[in-house]
Amino acid sequence: MWIKSLLKMTCLTLAFFATAAYAKSFEPATLQQAYEQLHEAVCVLTFTQEATDPRSGEQERQDGTAVALVVSPEGLLMSNGHLQLENIRSFNFRVRINRGDEQLEFPAVMLDKPEDVNLSFLRIQSDEPLNLPFVRFARGSALRLGEPVALVGIMGEAMGFHRSVRVDRITAILDTPRTTDCLTEGLRLGFVTSPVLNTRGEVVGVAGFELDPDEGGGMFARAGHPLVFQTEMFIHHVDRPPDESPVASPAEEAWLGVFTQPLKKEYAEYWGIAEPGGLIVSTVMPDSPAARAGLVPGDIIRSVDGAPVRALLDREVYAFTKMIRESKPQTITKLGILREGAEILLQATLGQRPRSARDAEEVTDETLGLVVREITRDVRILLNLGEEVEGVIVRRIISGSPAHVAGMRPGIIIMGLGDQPVIGLDDFETAVARLQESRPTEVSVFARVGAQTGFFRLMPRW
Amino acid sequence: MLASRIVSFLRQWRPAAWTFYLTISLVTFGGCATLGSDTQSSVLAAKNRVAPAMVHIRPVKEVFIAGQRREIPTIGSGFIISRDGYMVTNEHVAGDSSVVWCVLSDNTEIEARVVGADPDTDIAVLKVETDALLPHVTFGRSDTLESGQMVMALGSPHGLARSVSLGIISVPDRYLGDIGVMAAPYNNWIQTDAAINPGNSGGPLINLRGEVVGVNSRVLSGAENVGFAIPIDIAREAIEAIIEEGRVRRSWLGLQFQEMAARTDDPSARGVVIADVSPLSPAQEAGVRPGDLLLQINEKVVDARFEEDLPYVRKAVADLPIGETVALHLMRGGEPVEVTLQTEEKVATKGGQVEFSAWGFTAAEMTPELARRAQMTERTGVLVSGSMPGGIAAQAGLDQGDIILKMDDMPMHTLAEFSHAYQQRVESQQRLVMLFVRRGAVTRFVLLDTKTPDTDTLEKETLDYVD
Repeated sequence: MWIKSLLKMTCLTLAFFATAAYAKSFEPATLQQAYEQLHEAVCVLTFTQEATDPRSGEQERQDGTAVALVVSPEGLLMSNGHLQLENIRSFNFRVRINRGDEQLEFPAVMLDKPEDVNLSFLRIQSDEPLNLPFVRFARGSALRLGEPVALVGIMGEAMGFHRSVRVDRITAILDTPRTTDCLTEGLRLGFVTSPVLNTRGEVVGVAGFELDPDEGGGMFARAGHPLVFQTEMFIHHVDRPPDESPVASPAEEAWLGVFTQPLKKEYAEYWGIAEPGGLIVSTVMPDSPAARAGLVPGDIIRSVDGAPVRALLDREVYAFTKMIRESKPQTITKLGILREGAEILLQATLGQRPRSARDAEEVTDETLGLVVREITRDVRILLNLGEEVEGVIVRRIISGSPAHVAGMRPGIIIMGLGDQPVIGLDDFETAVARLQESRPTEVSVFARVGAQTGFFRLMPRW
Repeated sequence: MLASRIVSFLRQWRPAAWTFYLTISLVTFGGCATLGSDTQSSVLAAKNRVAPAMVHIRPVKEVFIAGQRREIPTIGSGFIISRDGYMVTNEHVAGDSSVVWCVLSDNTEIEARVVGADPDTDIAVLKVETDALLPHVTFGRSDTLESGQMVMALGSPHGLARSVSLGIISVPDRYLGDIGVMAAPYNNWIQTDAAINPGNSGGPLINLRGEVVGVNSRVLSGAENVGFAIPIDIAREAIEAIIEEGRVRRSWLGLQFQEMAARTDDPSARGVVIADVSPLSPAQEAGVRPGDLLLQINEKVVDARFEEDLPYVRKAVADLPIGETVALHLMRGGEPVEVTLQTEEKVATKGGQVEFSAWGFTAAEMTPELARRAQMTERTGVLVSGSMPGGIAAQAGLDQGDIILKMDDMPMHTLAEFSHAYQQRVESQQRLVMLFVRRGAVTRFVLLDTKTPDTDTLEKETLDYVD
């Protein structure tokens, strides 16, 4: 009997302590308050998405739902970055906002996607000025390991998209490439882009996922695990929404034309350099400003315009890339180079950054079923194409088209169409125009697939 | 079906009834078989002619996986072709093997020497030294085969020696195109529904006269009763060349062909389409261009309307005498063009491999073909074929597909040169070794720190996917 009651006591005590620990983390009152404060700013975004299969070029449409946060009273919305990917186009946005007992619905438009964080911004379209309840983000509030956090999201359609709260914890904090707070696994879709609150009730960020490198994420993207995007990572976009900010057009970006790696300790030791840190030039792109300046692989960049460069980590390479990119083309840059033990100074005139595949021009020919793009510098590097390879690259094949039937695939480089050589998009268009006049029953396409060239025979239905 | 029903009966019944049902079944069989009694006896006779010459082959193959050289025992089939002990099997069975054990039909186990192997036809010739006169097969012809004709496959499916299966020829000349590497550039295949399984490789496909008409080599995985054998006519040429010279020598011009149907459906079109011209090849130097139509090689007219005609064209080039002048009659934009050029000897696609165990990786010789596939303008460097997980090379970031161009700032042109430089550094215990490496269009520096604390790395078992 005595033992039994002792056990009972212990259980009760444990239960008490457990409750105490929980209460210490998040009082129900705090959660209720968070809900009250935020549920009107957490809204349901519906949209239509068109995804292109990068291999077949096949396009598929589906309707989707996501969490959107109202981040300004005038109707700036923030949602997840997966709405806009290289092969995914979302449109037909509508946002549903709870206002007391009332439900408001507005159309919305997508703004330019920020490059530095995987979030999307949208703007509500309304004829009348809006004054919506919105999420106020707290700055400079670092989360600690193990610290409990609360999320305000939406439940599924079966639950009428009712707003709900969830308590999670910071399970890990990664230091590189930037401070990354991890949540527990299994974040439901209704909590992606939900506000993250600390125990003091401050909104310190939003929950989200980074992009996989396949989806266009950076080399060090922490894809696949739910994270907290802290306020500092996106607040500048809230303050200056993307379409209003003066976006540097790609044409204004500069490039040097090198690949570099950091001069780590052992590398410095190998080359007998007393002080590690710097950028080892590993590749010099042909016909680039770097090549013209006389840079060769093995050179070590130790200073740029007099400022010392002491990169030791891979991510510090990106800082250099960013600095070059943000310079103006035609800027004359003085590079302090360590070459075979001697210090030399080279002068490079930065060039205009070549257009990337993202901004590449595209031409569609419905009859043959080809969507082609110019071969941009990044694609050339990616596919390891020599400078002598000229043509246009197949971006997409229209399903069931003559090109599809002939077995053509995205990624193939078209070098000839009919009797016409194809060097660029103009030639492609000219060749297509000629074919439209002569309407041959079969069209021969000279193309390059990987390292090999060959022919495809297309039978267009004019 | 009937037989299996009887068998299941037999198991249930007492011995007296056993005999009774056995008699019944024999009678039934006899009755049913009148139509095909000739067939049954032909099948038995054919099997009896070939079975004594069958060989169960157990090679120990050298493989390079995950940055390590391993030797793994495998199993295949083969057959004796001469009384003094020449045997035939597949190159993929006996090639790259350190030792080949053979079990003959009388259960003698004997070691064979690899006389030579030809990856382009997947043929290997073995030789055993014995005083006994061995039973051997006779060759038939494969150019007269037609679909529907009955054939048998003999061999060791899944290691089950002395297995015989019966079927018909489904298609006598099936074209199998590129599957990553070109599987069989010089031949079409005999497709059969006679059961062929892994382990049948290298065994004979025979007709009902007991003559070898093919060498069983491949199956279509995921399909049933879709097996492929190399036609004996093409195998025979390779076998003879290997016995004579230890290898098959072929000519090379640097041309890749496509069938006429790739350009036009016009049945009157003649010739073969030149799809690609390899850089630094005799054809490129002679000014042959992709898109040219090849009509004639010296006096020989070539024509390939469909892809199954391509192996004959490739073979016509390969059969040209090496180092001799050859005239190509081309058609370019409707105008006849003639070029003369000199043939070169074709070199193997696959280069030799070496394990650099102290640094935990394996590398292969950079052959011209590999250089072409890597889109390199010159042939130099060695190709990393694998790096051992947790090894020095892997930790430094060296990976399969990297091309090592320099070691300690010295250009590395061949695998031998690299091996030599490696030996020197291992002997002198040089701690830091700098490699200059190319991957795709980008080069980088890779520093090997050979004294990293965890040098005795885990022995990771990675053999499970090798068959």
